[in-house]
Amino acid sequence: MSSGPKKRNFQIEAFKHKVVVDPKYAEKTWKVLEDAIKEIYNHNASGLSFEELYRNAYNMVLHKFGEKLYSGLVSTMTLHLQSMSKSIEAAQGASFLDELNAKWNDHNKALQMIRDILMYMDRTFIPSTHKTPVHELGLNLWRDYVIHSSKIQSRLLNTILELIQRERTGEVINRGLMRNIIKMLMDLGPSVYQEDFEKPFLNVSADFYRAESQEYIECCDCADYLKKAERRLNEEIDRVSHYLDTKTEPKITNVVEKEMIANHMLRLVHMENSGLVKMLLDDKSEDLARMYNLFRRVSDGLSTIRDVMTSHIRDTGKQLVTDPEKSKNPVEFVETLLEKRDKYDKIIISAFSNDKTFQNALSSSFEYFINLNPRSPEYMSLFVDDKLRKGLKGVKDEDVELILDKVMILFRYLQEKDVFEKYYKQHLAKRLLSGKTVSDDAERSLIVKLKTECGYQFTSKLEGMFTDMKTSQDTMQGFYAACGAELGNGPTLVVQVLTTGSWPTQSTNTCNLPAELSTLCEKFRSYYLGTHTGRRLTWQTNMGTADLRATFGTVQKYELNVSTYQMCVLMLFNNTEHLSYKEIEQATEIPSSDLKRCLQSLACVKGKNVLRKEPMSKDIGEDDAFSVNDNFTSKLRKVKIGTVVAQKESEPEKQETRQRVEEDRKPQIEAAIVRIMKSRRVLDHNNIIAEVTKQLQSRFLANPGEIKKRIESLIERDFLERDNADRRLYRYLA
Amino acid sequence: MILVDGITLLCNDLQVDPQDIVMLVVSWHMKAATMCEFSKQEFITGLQSLGIDSLEKFRERISFMRSELKDEQKFREIYNYAFGWAKEKGQKSLALDTAIGMWQLLFAEKQWPLVDHWCQFLQARHNKAISRDTWSQLLEFARIVVPALSNYDPEGAWPYLIDEFVDYLTECGIIQKDNVSDDWSYKL
Repeated sequence: MSSGPKKRNFQIEAFKHKVVVDPKYAEKTWKVLEDAIKEIYNHNASGLSFEELYRNAYNMVLHKFGEKLYSGLVSTMTLHLQSMSKSIEAAQGASFLDELNAKWNDHNKALQMIRDILMYMDRTFIPSTHKTPVHELGLNLWRDYVIHSSKIQSRLLNTILELIQRERTGEVINRGLMRNIIKMLMDLGPSVYQEDFEKPFLNVSADFYRAESQEYIECCDCADYLKKAERRLNEEIDRVSHYLDTKTEPKITNVVEKEMIANHMLRLVHMENSGLVKMLLDDKSEDLARMYNLFRRVSDGLSTIRDVMTSHIRDTGKQLVTDPEKSKNPVEFVETLLEKRDKYDKIIISAFSNDKTFQNALSSSFEYFINLNPRSPEYMSLFVDDKLRKGLKGVKDEDVELILDKVMILFRYLQEKDVFEKYYKQHLAKRLLSGKTVSDDAERSLIVKLKTECGYQFTSKLEGMFTDMKTSQDTMQGFYAACGAELGNGPTLVVQVLTTGSWPTQSTNTCNLPAELSTLCEKFRSYYLGTHTGRRLTWQTNMGTADLRATFGTVQKYELNVSTYQMCVLMLFNNTEHLSYKEIEQATEIPSSDLKRCLQSLACVKGKNVLRKEPMSKDIGEDDAFSVNDNFTSKLRKVKIGTVVAQKESEPEKQETRQRVEEDRKPQIEAAIVRIMKSRRVLDHNNIIAEVTKQLQSRFLANPGEIKKRIESLIERDFLERDNADRRLYRYLA
Repeated sequence: MILVDGITLLCNDLQVDPQDIVMLVVSWHMKAATMCEFSKQEFITGLQSLGIDSLEKFRERISFMRSELKDEQKFREIYNYAFGWAKEKGQKSLALDTAIGMWQLLFAEKQWPLVDHWCQFLQARHNKAISRDTWSQLLEFARIVVPALSNYDPEGAWPYLIDEFVDYLTECGIIQKDNVSDDWSYKL
């Protein structure tokens, strides 16, 4: 360096002497590394200097000896792996896996160190020459020289599978070791894992479960089998979580599901004395839940359960409904239906997770068999009548609502809702007129429910009935306010004025009222017509009741509650001791069949025989003679004779009602046809039938033949015409 | 008004039986409202439309009119016209006896093998008047459906009475289902 008076930037120059690369340099450097690798594999790494080794590798690459470094690495590693392979092969029995595991760990540790040392090559030489990076190279060599060595490959697989088999038979195995081995296979790449383990594993498992399921199905009942299947399924899931790749889980569960469940599904479900039907009958909700959870895993599993359940409910329902014994008592009939529905509802909720498709199947089954018995609508009305008359006495409000809601569920299943409506009207009329309803609130609540379900038209007449009852009360008050004075101490009259359209149609019969009453009735009539012009009143003598104070002999006093007819008959005996049937008939002019029934209830019923009849036979003959029974006694002071209780109809009555229903349907069908044609203008035959049926579905199932007749009637009356060109088209005539 | 007596005279002059179906065709041309009656208007207008101005011409036209019954389209018109013509004034439907008589007359012209069965059926099962729709649809039925009923479509929008007729034929064994070939075979 020269120093001088001038300031100068100084330069540093590189060494001027030549750097000579020793030709043996590469060889020497490689030797160092090779030895180091050997030491690493011999667990002697502690004496090595990382810095020195790294520098050596670095230099080799720098001086363009990367190729030599790399190929040297490959051959060294290969040698070491080959010797590892031999020692693994030499391992006996159980120590095979341990040895393999140990050597694997060693190799991994070594590989890591080697990679760290050769990191510069990894980052520069290898990418530019597209060679396999060090770590991956190490894995590949391990795979090729150890795992896929002929003496190890199949032995490894068999050992693993055997351990799994032992675990399946209940032995405890070394899960930690298994986990490591399996992880090793996973680390070697998905194809190694799948080919060298997973595929054979699945096949062997399939065979295992196929055999086991065959064995079980021969000797177990359904519930036990399902328990076993569930256990095995859980076991496999557990196995995967402990020592297999999570991706294997769906594959192995599929195997179990297929072998243990799908293959035996039908046999299980139909097993005699233990299959699905038995479980349903015995309410075995735990077993059913297990079946549901297992079967939902396989395709068509749930539909199998559902189909069997559906046909079972349909069959048992059909039996129930067509059994003459069971359909004798209407109230019991409906209760049995409610119980049945409750039962299956509970099962579906508790065991089938309230699955909507099952609920639908339940509903459609009920819809099917309830309508097999044409008396179902009538019986349902009778059931409701019984409840509203006495069944709900003392029941809490919420419970009342519950029962009514359940009834509504059954109601929805009815196809012929208009038949129900007819009977309900009749029964309601009787309840209202006899004052026999337990709870006004309950009555009204049910009407509201029916209205929500079926619309305003369904319930408007029913509501009219309630209104009439209320109005009548007001009318009576007015009557007594106006005429009370002149009536004095005569009989007390209570009138219910019924609006004809709202109440069930009744034919009016002749009946001569006793004198005291007819004047009273006339007074009422003139009072009423005085305040309501333009109306006509007709006394419904067949629907009334009377309270009579009667003295038998000289002392026995009773209060008799009787029907109007009975009253007319009894009052006759105020004036005469003895009367013949004919005389009674003449005097009262009551129609003979009604009169006979009336006399039977007065003379032939034990405990209520206020009249004596000669002869004492049960039937009423034309020449029978009647007189007051002076020896009549009763424990109670108030005696009720002849109530007008709603009963199951007799055959002829049933026919009559059915006829009336059919008659009522005709205008409804016509109205539907007109409605549809008015909007569509032109429509073909099949479509009209379909549309009309759909429109009327909520009330009843329309008969296509009947629809056709109505169409013809409408053609006749010039509402519709046939198209000239296509005789199957109908046109609306405005 | 030309009434029954007048018509009898006319038929004599024409050398035609008053019961002859050609008289129906004449009435049709005249657009007569009711059978056995011609109003002056109907008579004159009808003759004019036929181009008849003498008895000679009238007699000649008779055979022409007979031939009109063979024409499919005209036959249909005449057939449908016959309903209004044959029924009582003021009635909507045609009395059964009259209808049967008319059918026998008409279907003598256009052969329909089932006409006798049809009339028997009506007398046995129906016994009520015939509506216009049933009347006109019967012709279609006779035209479209073969006597063996093999192409009868139960959902073919036929009037209810015709459906019942088909049931009647099956019940009485007149129409049978052939088990072998699923064909309906016709047995008289």
